[in-house]
Amino acid sequence: MYFPRPLAMGVALALLAGSTLAASPTSPAELQAAWLAEARQSNPALRAFSAERGRSFFSTTHGSDWSCASCHTSNPGQGGAHAVTRKLIEPLAPAANPRRFSDAAKVDKWFGRNCKDVLGRACTAEEKGDLLAYLLTVKP
Amino acid sequence: MKTLQSLSLATLLLAGGAWAGDHRYALSPTYAAECGSCHVAYPPALMDAAGWKVTLQQLERHFGSDASLEPQAQREIASLLQAQASTRSAHEGKGAAPRLTTTAWFQRKHRPEELRGYPLPKVPAGARATPMAQCQQCHRRAEQGDFGEGSLQPADGRR
Ligand code: HEC
Ligand code: HEC
Ligand code: HEC
Repeated sequence: MYFPRPLAMGVALALLAGSTLAASPTSPAELQAAWLAEARQSNPALRAFSAERGRSFFSTTHGSDWSCASCHTSNPGQGGAHAVTRKLIEPLAPAANPRRFSDAAKVDKWFGRNCKDVLGRACTAEEKGDLLAYLLTVKP
Repeated sequence: MKTLQSLSLATLLLAGGAWAGDHRYALSPTYAAECGSCHVAYPPALMDAAGWKVTLQQLERHFGSDASLEPQAQREIASLLQAQASTRSAHEGKGAAPRLTTTAWFQRKHRPEELRGYPLPKVPAGARATPMAQCQQCHRRAEQGDFGEGSLQPADGRR
């Protein structure tokens, strides 16, 4: 494919300026608060998220080949590996990896992809909140 | 090497992102982050533009995984792949889900006799995985875009 030079130059300049993707800083507590508000719209009786429910959600296959543990291992305080490509994956628990749940766009992107791959649908706010409640109990 | 390294990144990118000849590929941060999260960020220069185009058209159903991108990242990566893609017919990405590992070039460079001392990565029974796509198992610095000879490590020297 022919690529005009000014366009290629523009691409190179954009790359030199670093990634143009914006980070959207957040924290586990902020995410939990937002998910709790969202979850209460459909379940007003909900008081708090459950780490216990989160733990079983994490290790259940939900009818597909994979569970969350297939790639993130049954101990999310440790690193895992992608079930197909064997690429190493850093720990998912914030205590073991402070970069987790610190960028809202990244969290949304991966919940979107991984929930679709494992559950065949998006995760609900309650599922996300339970899962994070569980991850917050995991020590490295 | 020194002089090559001091060339500006822009020049390298315009030249296709490779240090000519020695198989070390400069990867943009966006590409490395978005296309290097589930597997090694495959060097754009090892497949042709048509192959990459087909790949990017179906990221929601990407080899059994959802790898879809935000529109901005999608545009950025599309133009980068088109700019850095190979123009050699030996790098033609074929079929409905093009792979680097099935290009004529790749297969010639990875014939069984070339792989002596480099066992194929083991994949779990039942997993539909392609051992040759796990570049990092033989090219120890593949994550950094380094496919040069110094990055190769035969089986007995493994961790
Ligand atoms: C097929 C492999 C695979 C499966 C199955 C999987 N993940 Fe992931 N997950 C990944 C990869 C790859 C990343 C991104 C790489 C990285 O950030 O280390 C990721 C990242 C994430 C992140 C981003 C966290 C952050 O802030 O950085 C979350 C959240 C997550 N996964 C949750 C889940 C949940 C919940 C499930 C189960 C429904 C699940 N994953 C199943 C591979 C997987
Ligand atoms: C959500 C996980 C995920 C993300 C993100 C992802 N991929 Fe993949 N990719 C896979 C899986 C799984 C395979 C299949 C590996 C196998 O066959 O063993 C694959 C395979 C490939 C292959 C074929 C490998 C071969 O055999 O030559 C190419 C090319 C490829 N991906 C390009 C990309 C590009 C470009 C991006 C960024 C736009 C990307 N991938 C992002 C999961 C992902
Ligand atoms: C099973 C081990 C193995 C795997 C997996 C593997 N390679 Fe290689 N690769 C080799 C060996 C051995 C050589 C050296 C062959 C030779 O001497 O020409 C090589 C050579 C190369 C070269 C240099 C060719 C040259 O002209 O010098 C490149 C580039 C390369 N591989 C890219 C890749 C990419 C990209 C992947 C993943 C998609 C990959 N390899 C997967 C073993 C492997």
